[in-house]
Amino acid sequence: MIHDIWTVVWKEWKEFRDQLLSLRRGGLSAMILALILGVVAPVQLGAEWVESKLIIGYWPFLAATMVSSLIADSVAGERERHTLETLLASRLSDSAILIGKIIAAVLYGVGFAVVNLLLGLVAVNVAHSDDGLILFGTQRFIVTVVLTILASLLMAGIGVFISLRATTVKQAQQAFGIAIIVLTMGPLLLFNALSQETHKALVERLSGVGEARIEAYVVATLVVLSAIVIGGALARFKRGKLVLD
Amino acid sequence: MPNGNELAIRTEHVTRDFGPVRALDSLSLQIPKGIVFGFLGPNGAGKTTAIRVLLGLIDPTGGRAEVLGLDTRREGPAIRTRCGALLEHPGLYERLTAYDNLDFYGRAWRVPRRVRQERIRELLSRFSLWERRDDPVGRWSRGMKQKLAVARAVLHRPDLVFLDEPTSGLDPVATAGLREDLAALAAQEGVTVFLTTHNLNEAERLCAQVGVIRGGKLLAVGSPESLRARRESGRVDIVARGITEPLVTQLGASAGVQSLVATGDGLSISLADGASVAPIVAWLVHHDVAIEEVRKARATLEDAFLDLMGIETADGDQPGGTR
Repeated sequence: MIHDIWTVVWKEWKEFRDQLLSLRRGGLSAMILALILGVVAPVQLGAEWVESKLIIGYWPFLAATMVSSLIADSVAGERERHTLETLLASRLSDSAILIGKIIAAVLYGVGFAVVNLLLGLVAVNVAHSDDGLILFGTQRFIVTVVLTILASLLMAGIGVFISLRATTVKQAQQAFGIAIIVLTMGPLLLFNALSQETHKALVERLSGVGEARIEAYVVATLVVLSAIVIGGALARFKRGKLVLD
Repeated sequence: MPNGNELAIRTEHVTRDFGPVRALDSLSLQIPKGIVFGFLGPNGAGKTTAIRVLLGLIDPTGGRAEVLGLDTRREGPAIRTRCGALLEHPGLYERLTAYDNLDFYGRAWRVPRRVRQERIRELLSRFSLWERRDDPVGRWSRGMKQKLAVARAVLHRPDLVFLDEPTSGLDPVATAGLREDLAALAAQEGVTVFLTTHNLNEAERLCAQVGVIRGGKLLAVGSPESLRARRESGRVDIVARGITEPLVTQLGASAGVQSLVATGDGLSISLADGASVAPIVAWLVHHDVAIEEVRKARATLEDAFLDLMGIETADGDQPGGTR
């Protein structure tokens, strides 16, 4: 099983590599993004770049965004390019194909975030060498990495789930875009719909909980959501249905 | 009749419905191991559906199918492990190189690294693609892609290979080239090949046995020779001088002749059941026709195929009964 998953990851990465090496197919955008996020931002912000609390949400967001840029293509793209049926006619199991695609996308997103993070650390220390060594605190770094992986996993799970039934990549991207808007705007709209008293009570309660516990809640929520979405995708991955779709 | 162990494929009254449409209708087949079997039929006949059922990708609505002794309903993964397939589309990753396409499927079938490398080199060289191994496949011609897809299908040395219209969409030169490659491959690898095609010339050259399907029903199965023989019996061509229109009319009305066509240099006659050509020749000689040659008509598989298609339309035969 592990071997088969790794085989799918290998193939997906070969295709991503081509995309990254080609300037027209997204390589240029990735380079610009890396320059802004990995060099310009840390140089401008200095020590605040590693100390700000916002940083905890920043890297997961970046990784998830990178995952979202290619995950809609995962199954719908295979279907559109007529490679899906041949893949399904191979000895690879349903779960190896699906999990391989998810892991490849997560590695892509997390890898991009880590490269930018390392680039940023170099840039910030070179530009602000007078301030001494600027590094992340250990706990913050671990929480950031865990959240980055989980956010990517959730995004990949949602993307694959949608991509399974989409006829074309365009259709998958549209559905995925709507899902992301609902997921991000939904909680905000829900929060706004609550009364002022409830807002106040909620904020007070959260303030009393403490940073570490909030982080634990977020991690647990992401784990549960990812498990639900990936479990749903595995249940939805029916070879016979996919061949005929 | 081969026993179960000697059969690559055995289906018993396999039926597959898609809503109100019956794509396969009581398909019963027995295909021995080690042969090239041609599954012939027009577009929409049910050929691709049959392959999907046999690979365990979709379940039959009714009946039972075994591939290499494995049940398609319960043992799909084991069947796919032992089979290779070139389906309706080449199914190649166009952004990847030819080498990487084969490498991926070699890894998927867990072919050990060294064996895989040697096998990829062997197959790409056999198909004259080795020099282009580092090209992204998207830049290749259709013919080259089809060759690569065939190489992918046999890379892991499967026991059985499904080739769904492998020469479809190719120009005549590419078709002839791929056909030669397929013949050599089947002979050298000793693999059972299940080939669907509507190219009858291809089937005639490659296949030891053929089955003819239409509307999901099996019309006939047997060797190309036996199918041709069906068409050939009772047909003679007579090359002669001095045949006039009144003679053709008279001959056409005679008891021993079912139908006849005047050709540029004589007559093509379809004899009535049990009739002999000798009285006809004697009758023509008596009417001052100079006979130069009398020969049994040589039917092609295409003639036999078209006949089979016509049988059902004209007579409403139950095709299963022609087996």
